[in-house]
Amino acid sequence: MRDNLREMRNCHEVGQWLQHYLDGELEPGVTTQVEEHLETCVRCGLEYDTYSRIKTALHEASSDSPELIGDEIALQRLRRFADGLTGHSSAGA
Amino acid sequence: MEQEPILGSSGDRSADAAFHRYVVPELPALLRVARTLTHNPDDAEDLVQDTIIRAYKSITTFDGAHARAWLFTILRNTHINRNRRRRPDLFDDPNDVEAIADHRRSDPAELAEQTAFRDAVVAAIATLPEKMRTVVELVDLESCTYAEVAMALGIPIGTVMSRLHRGRKHIKDQLVAKGLVNKKVSST
Repeated sequence: MRDNLREMRNCHEVGQWLQHYLDGELEPGVTTQVEEHLETCVRCGLEYDTYSRIKTALHEASSDSPELIGDEIALQRLRRFADGLTGHSSAGA
Repeated sequence: MEQEPILGSSGDRSADAAFHRYVVPELPALLRVARTLTHNPDDAEDLVQDTIIRAYKSITTFDGAHARAWLFTILRNTHINRNRRRRPDLFDDPNDVEAIADHRRSDPAELAEQTAFRDAVVAAIATLPEKMRTVVELVDLESCTYAEVAMALGIPIGTVMSRLHRGRKHIKDQLVAKGLVNKKVSST
């Protein structure tokens, strides 16, 4: 019973840190605690895996989804403008 | 062919090199933030142009550390100044900006599942409120740190974390609803 309560408390705390851990925003000491918990807790492991897959999916989609990479034409114009500031050739940019 | 420099460049090759090293790679992130600040694609592009002009003029004083944070600061200040000129009754407080503001496996079934998951994530993020969506995009697409997003949008870092958490949870809930994620992970 006591172990279950402790586990629930750990899951609650780790749940609050999980996304920070995913983004590499945790202090090293807390990172270690999260990693130790994820090694033994299936529920939190699944939770982490889901957020990790979402992050990976977004990152992959950004390379071929115009709605995610924004207006590529506008970006090309801005790159040419940046090149123009320095007299740099935009060919191949 | 070399272009004629717009600013009548000093011909300082090291400054030009620094500009291309530190500024040009951040254009996608700058444009994304500018769109959030201006709510208008044309204004966003103009804002980024003004930003990179300012960055170019001051590149020789930039020490090379935290380029993205430096550029976001220029972007935000440029935005505030532009709006102050347009609407002097607005933006008395800079904080008012906030107010407007292959690892793929060869198994076809596995690939199809990955594609369905990815498409569902893309569809889900499109349904997020803009402020939430921007934070998720800056962190997950542009790999910004929380501090960089806070600086870019002029919001407290706690707000960044809150919007990010709620945005991802919203995406996850939609994946659960479509049966793409185990319901057991729908708690937090």
